[in-house]
Amino acid sequence: MIQSTSHDSSAHDTHHAPPAQFTVRVLRQDVPGGSSYWERHTVKRENDMNVISVLQRIAANAETADGEKTTPVAWDCNCLEEVCGACTMVVNGKVRQACSALVDKLLVDNPEEIELRPMTKFPVVRDLMVSRARLFRALQKVKAWIPVDGYYDMGSGPRVSAESQEQAYPLSQCMSCGCCLEACPQYTKIELKQEEGETAEAFQARQKEAYDRGFVGAHAISQVMLFNKHPTGAMNAGERLDALTAEGGIQACGNAQNCVAVCPKEIPLTTSIGRAGRATTVHVIKKFFDR
Amino acid sequence: MQGPRIISVEANSASFFSRNEFLIRRLHSLTGLVPVGAYMCIHLITNASTLGGAPMFQKNVDLIHSLGPALPIVEWSFIFLPLIFHAVVGVAIIRSGNPNLSSYHYVGNVRYVLQRATAWIALAFIAWHVFHMHGWFHNEWWLENVANEDLGGHRFDPKHAASTAALALEAPIRKLAYFIGVVSCVFHFANGLWTMGITWGVWTTAAAQKRANWICGAVGIVMTVVGLSALVGVAKTDVVAAQAYEDTKLQMKQEEEQRVAAENKRLSSLTAEERLAERKAREANH
Amino acid sequence: MAKERVLVVGGGLAGLAATMQLAEQGVAVDLMSLTPVKRSHSVCAQGGINSVNDLTRQQGDNEYLHFDDTVYGGDFLQHQPPVKEMTEWGPKIIDLMDRLGVPFNRTPEGYRDQRRFGGTLFKRTAFAGATTGQQLLYALDEQVRRWETAGSVKKYEFWDFLGPILDENGVCRGAVAQDLVTMEIRTFAADAVIVATGGCGLIFGRSTMSMACTGSAVARCFRAGAKYGNGEFIQVHPTAIPGADKLRLMSESARGEGGRVWVPRIPQDPRPPKQIPEAERYYFLEERYPKYKNLVPRDIATREIFSICTEDGLSVEKDRLCVYLDLTHLPRESLNKLGGILEIYEKFQGVDPREVPMKIFPAVHYSMGGLWVDYERTPAGGLKLGAIKNQVTNIPGLYAIGECDYQYHGANRLGANSLLSCIFSGLIVAPTVQTWIASLKGKLAADQPAALYDAAKKRHQDEHNAMLKRPGGGENPYLIHQELGNIMTKAATVVRHNDALRDAYKQVQALEARAAKCSLSDTGNWTNQNVVFTKALWDMFPIAKCILKGALQRDECRGAHYKPEFSMPGIDASASPEERRRLAEEWVDTFDANTKKWLKSTVASLGPDNEPVITYEDVDTSLITPRPRLYGLVGADIIEEVWKQRQAAKSAAPKDTNGSHSEKSAAAAASAS
Ligand SMILES: Cc1cc2nc3c(=O)[nH]c(=O)nc-3n(C[C@H](O)[C@H](O)[C@H](O)COP(=O)(O)OP(=O)(O)OC[C@H]3O[C@@H](n4cnc5c(N)ncnc54)[C@H](O)[C@@H]3O)c2cc1C
Ligand code: HEM
Ligand code: SF4
Ligand code: SF4
Ligand code: FES
Repeated sequence: MIQSTSHDSSAHDTHHAPPAQFTVRVLRQDVPGGSSYWERHTVKRENDMNVISVLQRIAANAETADGEKTTPVAWDCNCLEEVCGACTMVVNGKVRQACSALVDKLLVDNPEEIELRPMTKFPVVRDLMVSRARLFRALQKVKAWIPVDGYYDMGSGPRVSAESQEQAYPLSQCMSCGCCLEACPQYTKIELKQEEGETAEAFQARQKEAYDRGFVGAHAISQVMLFNKHPTGAMNAGERLDALTAEGGIQACGNAQNCVAVCPKEIPLTTSIGRAGRATTVHVIKKFFDR
Repeated sequence: MQGPRIISVEANSASFFSRNEFLIRRLHSLTGLVPVGAYMCIHLITNASTLGGAPMFQKNVDLIHSLGPALPIVEWSFIFLPLIFHAVVGVAIIRSGNPNLSSYHYVGNVRYVLQRATAWIALAFIAWHVFHMHGWFHNEWWLENVANEDLGGHRFDPKHAASTAALALEAPIRKLAYFIGVVSCVFHFANGLWTMGITWGVWTTAAAQKRANWICGAVGIVMTVVGLSALVGVAKTDVVAAQAYEDTKLQMKQEEEQRVAAENKRLSSLTAEERLAERKAREANH
Repeated sequence: MAKERVLVVGGGLAGLAATMQLAEQGVAVDLMSLTPVKRSHSVCAQGGINSVNDLTRQQGDNEYLHFDDTVYGGDFLQHQPPVKEMTEWGPKIIDLMDRLGVPFNRTPEGYRDQRRFGGTLFKRTAFAGATTGQQLLYALDEQVRRWETAGSVKKYEFWDFLGPILDENGVCRGAVAQDLVTMEIRTFAADAVIVATGGCGLIFGRSTMSMACTGSAVARCFRAGAKYGNGEFIQVHPTAIPGADKLRLMSESARGEGGRVWVPRIPQDPRPPKQIPEAERYYFLEERYPKYKNLVPRDIATREIFSICTEDGLSVEKDRLCVYLDLTHLPRESLNKLGGILEIYEKFQGVDPREVPMKIFPAVHYSMGGLWVDYERTPAGGLKLGAIKNQVTNIPGLYAIGECDYQYHGANRLGANSLLSCIFSGLIVAPTVQTWIASLKGKLAADQPAALYDAAKKRHQDEHNAMLKRPGGGENPYLIHQELGNIMTKAATVVRHNDALRDAYKQVQALEARAAKCSLSDTGNWTNQNVVFTKALWDMFPIAKCILKGALQRDECRGAHYKPEFSMPGIDASASPEERRRLAEEWVDTFDANTKKWLKSTVASLGPDNEPVITYEDVDTSLITPRPRLYGLVGADIIEEVWKQRQAAKSAAPKDTNGSHSEKSAAAAASAS
């Protein structure tokens, strides 16, 4: 804060001088289901720039590289420090957070251009903004919560060993960003269209149903393992495993392990998947014989 | 860009597959190992015995065929049906995915794609292989009119195991096809073993998965060597000599069979007293 | 019969706590937020959450000391009963969060681990890795999702709150809001509206806050007649990483784990930091504050870092002001505890702070000010739970909780106390709202005339349409925002001067006039972020002016508000003992006079000319007598001596007025609210 003077990039002197300006190619789409088109913008390079600040400059400028008037590109963000998960998009072909995508690093790979696209697995709302309702619906489906009795004071929670805290904590950092889903070859896009005369509620219900049929995704599987490990959460472990063995459950995973490779929080998703595999195996067999 | 895949709810509303998705997927996984995978290993080991020469191979083949009339039942229930199940579900699985190797060049992703590519190869290869060797159906008309020499079907004769196998794979193109087929199937099996361990929760942590990777890799390499040694085996087979041996063996076998048949016939024509007398005489001889 | 409904605006810690509690009590809740609630700004909180615990208790800690630390840290500007109640709830709140599954760090024996934060001598802060706020928020988010799945909560995410709806009696009956995707404007009938929209850092351009922290929702309540309290108290965090879009926080826990702040003694020493020998490093916080060392309260750390760069000219770099925050001497285990925040530095600066000292500088971080809210005290000095007055703004039916109320942190917030106040205010507002709804005697919002809502909707729809129709070629809202940020940052952060504040106020007024002429580059009616931003910008002005005017009028130093002109110098150590004694007496006299004059909440309301009008309100200090903050002051010893003697004399004499510090007489004192 405080000073607005520009500073020099003594920290970045290992590479040759970055260009004074660069092109940003954005895949835009005006409405859901509409056709998409590329638009090019020229942006002046500044120190410590990330893709968010690039989009901010584009919004302020509202002009394409050819000098034509245009509307600001729509995108989603909040924290700007990679903890809220809002700003996920496809940057230079790879899904990631726009706020932690540093321009100077991107320009090392390709000095001419930065390419921005919306995620491909979620319905586009507009430009770089997508609807991740399905992702949150999956958390409902797998009951990703601790079913406490209530919120009155009942003393402290169960004792937890440092070791299990160390196992739980990484899983609990999932910020529902959707990277793992975007990169997963088994997670395919579900986009419904509101029918004419269909009420918003009916449409939502139809969406939910369709989402429930689709693959829940690595994030939700991992959340199941998080809650099933918690001493209180374990009391409902079976319900969550039921969800994981229902349609769209863990069986849809094809073990490509892209999820774990792209997760910005480095959550051991494939370990969760393996553990969930074991738990569901045991659960289903037990259920069969306990019937 | 991948185009949107719009799933219509009505279309697949609670189909049998979707209701039993978990069970079907686990059965698919299981059939990959047993019986299909296990059979493949036995089959490749048997084939490798061509290296040991025509007699050894013939002996192994005979062992399998000693099941006689039970063989088709065993083959269908333990090999073909599970394989067809695995293949049909496998195709459905492949179609449910959306590979994205061009964007994400991770080893896991490469293997995911290879698993599917080798599945297609295995499908084509196994179909061709079974046609090529057995002609698919053991129906007279079919064997004469479709799976005949012109179309290259039904080339394997279990009674002339080494020689017909060698002849069938004589053309380099066939050897190449066999090579690709076997390598693909083995990769598919070994990599499948590894994914199976995750699917069923045998290896869970990254470290365990790495260790399992070594084991599955070793299985893959061993099975590749075993599978390919059959190629060497058939290449080394002297068809004429093998045929001669097989013919002699077959002739001996036939003679023996005839002898046994004649003997049986003779025995059955005797009266009970005569048979008793004969046995006594034999015992006295001992 | 219509069922009661409550609208909660904002799904940070405060909003989610309230939602969850209301849902449990069987009230239907509409929960509205600019972002999906799981992405609320609360996820950014790294350090931890304060409460007394069994361990600190045995070291002599108790709720009262936590309470004392909080009001002392806040320079006594907060009403004491709510704070007292909050600190008493602290242990219960941590227990609750623990039960909800927050993965708090553990001791080898399996108990919750604690760390020490600025402003206290106890290890009072429970933490979950370096993402405590995220973990707490997720636990509440999960509970709310549970209620949502059960159907008792309906979420409206990607909705912008446009303002409360008041009936002809000035009672809040719901709100107007806009869908950020479809741009639909609609009304929400509600028997109570709870605003939990967090801070307003964006008024300063770049800050440590998230992009949704525009303060617009609060401003819209202010425009509707709600009062705004203690606006001028803006906390500037001592340690942030300067970036182009945001100033990313380097948590206090970096210092808590043993991080040391220093500058080279040679100005702009060109050597790499690790090569500068100990003797040539100036550990200025340790030298100036031997008791608290690097853990001095935030305002002091901020000012020291600021002045070492500006006044002493010892900034590490010449054209970018910054100092070193050094962790490189720490063992790996303590660095591991900090994992997350070190990754942030590495991720955004491309340098590993385990190897190279970090460069940091202060940044706007927290707004102590916020919507004025009421409370009802018990005779014992606590809060009367469920009382109709708790957390209510001056508009009946409109409540404020979390960072956007002004209630808990006075002139300065103690580290790790905000998460506590957010959850606390969220939990206690629920029974209050129940009491309020009961008092409506069935005259629910659902039964209000449709005309009330239609009129409100029409007004906002017309405004929206007019905005889209503005002629092109006008002002650019994004550039105006930058200018506003620069003005505010220069005039109203670490050090404040009256002439600069006066000037800034005029500049902001001029800017506001220009903002009214902003034209939009997007005039469409689908996910138009341009118009949403322009509206938010427009609503930054009233709060910006509250901040500036409050700061201008408050001629003293208190907490985060620092005017060098009115600072109270220390006492010359070289003077004779008698002289020092005399100076100390004088010092205490001045202090008393200042307390009398300025120990008052600043309360702003919107005047007829659209400018804030400021009045002052007494503070309930009946539980702990305000005393001088003497951290590091030269001559603190003698001042303290005089102070104590006077206090002793006072309590010996019979007393009945405000200012008594004994708990018994406090009980008799009337509520000052
Ligand atoms: C970097 C950082 C670190 C911090 N670390 C700590 C710490 O270690 N310990 C501590 O105690 N405190 C810490 N704080 C402070 C603390 O995080 C915040 O004070 C607290 O999270 C605020 O919570 P809240 O619920 O009031 O609001 P927020 O979490 O800010 O949530 C506001 C909600 O309101 C919604 N909203 C806003 N405007 C509108 C509108 N117009 N219409 C609809 N919805 C709207 C938003 O979408 C959001 O859901 C930190 C703060 C920062 C910036
Ligand atoms: C030689 C014959 C075959 C063998 C030995 C074999 C074996 C295996 C094994 C062990 C697996 C691992 C299962 C798991 O991951 O859980 C597997 C997976 C798979 N197989 Fe086969 N298979 C064979 C033929 C085929 C054929 C013909 C197809 C379809 C065309 C096919 C399609 C698949 C697919 C798609 C998978 C991946 C399943 C998943 O990822 O969940 N396989 N196979
Ligand atoms: S491991 Fe499973 S969930 Fe992860 S990317 Fe692969 S298929 Fe998707
Ligand atoms: S698991 Fe990782 S990639 Fe997936 S949503 Fe969570 S944080 Fe994002
Ligand atoms: S803006 Fe929060 S993750 Fe990027």
